[in-house]
Amino acid sequence: MVDSVATQSAASFVPMRTTTSEASASVGALAAEGETVKIQVKDLNFYYDKYHALKSINLSLFDRKVTAFVGPSGCGKSTLLRILNRMYELYPKQRAVGQVLVDGQNILDAGQDLNMLRAKIGMVFQKPTPFPMSIYDNIAFGIRLYEKLPQAEIDERIESALQRAALWTEVKDKLRQSGLGLSGGQQQRLCIARAIAVKPTILLLDEPCSALDPISTQKIEELITELKTDYTIAIVTHNMQQAARSSDYTAFMYLGELIEFNQTSVIFTRPEKKQTEDYVTGRFG
Amino acid sequence: MAGSVMASLYRRRRAGNGVLLVFSLGATLFGLFWLAAILVTLLYNGFAAIDLAMFTQMTPAPGNAGGLLNAIVGSLIMTFFGIVIGAPIGLMAGTFLAEYGHYSRISPVVRFINDILLSAPSIIVGLFVYELLVVRMGHFSAISGAVALAILVIPVVVRTTEDMLNLVPNALREAAAALGAPKWKVVVMVSYRAAIQGLLTGVLLAIARISGETAPLLFTALNNQFWSLNLDAPMANLPVVIFQFAMSPYDDWQRLAWGGALLITFAILGLNIGARALASWGGTKSGA
Amino acid sequence: MVDIAAARRLPGQRQNFGDVAFRFATWFFAFLVLVLLGAVIVALIDGSLLALRTFGPSFIWTETWDPVKQVFGARAPMVGTLITSALAMLVGIPISFGIAVFLTQLCPVWARRPLGISIELLAGIPSIIYGIWGLFVFAPFMQTYIEPFLTDTLGALPVVGPLFQGPPLGIGMLTAGIILGIMVLPFISSIMRDVFDTVPPMLKESAYGLGCTTWEVMWNVVLPYTRVGVVGGIMLGLGRALGETMAVTFVIGNAHHLSVSLLAPGTTISAALANEFSEAVEEIYQSSLIALGLILFVITLIVLSVAKYMLIRLQSRAGK
Repeated sequence: MVDSVATQSAASFVPMRTTTSEASASVGALAAEGETVKIQVKDLNFYYDKYHALKSINLSLFDRKVTAFVGPSGCGKSTLLRILNRMYELYPKQRAVGQVLVDGQNILDAGQDLNMLRAKIGMVFQKPTPFPMSIYDNIAFGIRLYEKLPQAEIDERIESALQRAALWTEVKDKLRQSGLGLSGGQQQRLCIARAIAVKPTILLLDEPCSALDPISTQKIEELITELKTDYTIAIVTHNMQQAARSSDYTAFMYLGELIEFNQTSVIFTRPEKKQTEDYVTGRFG
Repeated sequence: MAGSVMASLYRRRRAGNGVLLVFSLGATLFGLFWLAAILVTLLYNGFAAIDLAMFTQMTPAPGNAGGLLNAIVGSLIMTFFGIVIGAPIGLMAGTFLAEYGHYSRISPVVRFINDILLSAPSIIVGLFVYELLVVRMGHFSAISGAVALAILVIPVVVRTTEDMLNLVPNALREAAAALGAPKWKVVVMVSYRAAIQGLLTGVLLAIARISGETAPLLFTALNNQFWSLNLDAPMANLPVVIFQFAMSPYDDWQRLAWGGALLITFAILGLNIGARALASWGGTKSGA
Repeated sequence: MVDIAAARRLPGQRQNFGDVAFRFATWFFAFLVLVLLGAVIVALIDGSLLALRTFGPSFIWTETWDPVKQVFGARAPMVGTLITSALAMLVGIPISFGIAVFLTQLCPVWARRPLGISIELLAGIPSIIYGIWGLFVFAPFMQTYIEPFLTDTLGALPVVGPLFQGPPLGIGMLTAGIILGIMVLPFISSIMRDVFDTVPPMLKESAYGLGCTTWEVMWNVVLPYTRVGVVGGIMLGLGRALGETMAVTFVIGNAHHLSVSLLAPGTTISAALANEFSEAVEEIYQSSLIALGLILFVITLIVLSVAKYMLIRLQSRAGK
């Protein structure tokens, strides 16, 4: 019974017209005790000009859990992630149809203020992107966008962000030096610090470790595990083992459709669909 | 025998190739030779003219000794204003092309027109400013000269600004947008900063371009025998002074012309080298 | 403190005033570039109206240029411009090709940058320097050595003879043409070099692999591949040569009549403008000169547009 409901909610070949109660029933079937939905994606379709890139996606991201999006190249996982902070709006001819409810409010609404949305939702990219400024200014940049704080408070915020990103000890003596002088792993942690300095509630990580060496990757994965106590995290990853290690929930996507979505332990041990099983065991992709 | 046919063909091909190789080496030497010839002549004649007087005295009447001070200062002033007027316009237009105008229909047209203005004869620019300003004002003036120079600056700065801003990776812009920065802050505080070396290089190249321009000043700023800082009056400048003095039959004047020519050439070569150095220093700095 | 609750109540996507203002400002100045070109055309037409109305279309083929009688015709300067530019191309194109071949194919790698930069320094020398150097150094050189030689050899031949006859003055169309050629060398060769470098190495290697010599690879593979860019570069160089003023003014001789011989003095549009504009007191004189400017601008506009069009075609091909 639980399985078939889970199947129904995850399958996206047949567009579902779920009512709210059905949706929360299926969600409830997935969630463990006491978990709330932070982001609810409903019937989401996405188009690059005429190309239908995402087809009727339905899934939930739970509060303070790590959800991994996995799938072969071109399956739409990054596309989906970038809808969550409406990053696609920077480019014309890309549009999203459907609903994405963050804390109950549909962020795809025309009335949604994009800048405030992005204050709530932080993003870290595939390649580290430190701004061409000092380490201090990199983090201060985001803070200064929203708040007018006295110098001492800014210093404090920067220190706590860097502490949280496990970078403080390494850079505390060179805050005024350029961010570009750090190693790849450090730059990525700087970007994470920059993102959390504006106090978001959600973090989107788009293949954050793909440009890093294994040791830096490990550090960042540990960081993700710590950060989830405070942030809802969605991570796109190519690395199956990383998904298995770091996430609580996994969404497997293929060619723009959500094939299966469940707790990570379930996806990797007893996946519903053959496709999922083939992918996680490395038979394709 | 097939072998000998192939062999004779081969010999001819080898010979033809040899001709090409010799020719291209010769061509390169030809080009370098004239460069050397010009520089050597310039140095030889120019150095003979350089003395303290050149930097301290005004342009003389024919047959007298003198200097180039008013011309040097005049050139500096007009170049300065040419950049002050032209560079911001070019910067803004280039910013539009790189940051806002990717899907605008006006962008390809602006690029096309800009490239035409870039290579247009500078004497036409002089004529234009003559019609526009000098005729209306009723007299020649330094400000007209500065405007003519500004018109020459704009296409250079537009081109380099667009190219340099396009080099800034999109991920950087996205990272700033992801933090919630409004578009103009993304451009000014991230894109400009990332491209600053390239943007400055563009300005240096623009300065180098207008420093040696004579034609646009002929009909706008004209020339001034005496010391003048008045923007509303004709102003002395090096290129026109060189033109006037070199074409004249007076030895003194010709000497000064060579001195002025040396000054200009070295200023421009210095600016070009400085621009290159800036560009490559910037490259190594931001390379991760 | 970022108030998430307040964020939810914000009334719609508000664009900062700063965003709108900045966006408009950049658009405005981009538009200004378009306006500038239009203004130039309008100003030139306006200034030349008097001459065009007075002389009509015959202005273009009239050779007379008489400030005293106030009769003017554009033929001598126009032809002069075209001939000196043609000479410049004749000198510049093969030499630029040679330089480009040398620097991209034959030159040892360590020498490529310094030599390339040296050639480009030629472009940095302002045209007035070419002018005075031409007047004081090159013209006497031509007068003493080259021109007598040409008169004796080519001047005696049947068909081309008349081109090379006449007293060796040093200044004249030939000298001006050669100096122009040297001036456009760096432009054309630098475009050729850039364009030659875009040829995929595999394409060249497959030709070499068949046993082709360097010349054969250049002629049969590289040039056809880069044909559009090369022509575009040549036309850019031509556009420059057409409009060049100072280098030509010093050595062209400023004679408003046409002669068959290349060794004779002549004039070009820009040289005429530079030499005569400040003395053109009468309106009709000035207007005729501006009309010359208009003609030059139209010619340059056409040449540059064609060049740009070809280079855009090359870029779009490379992008595919």
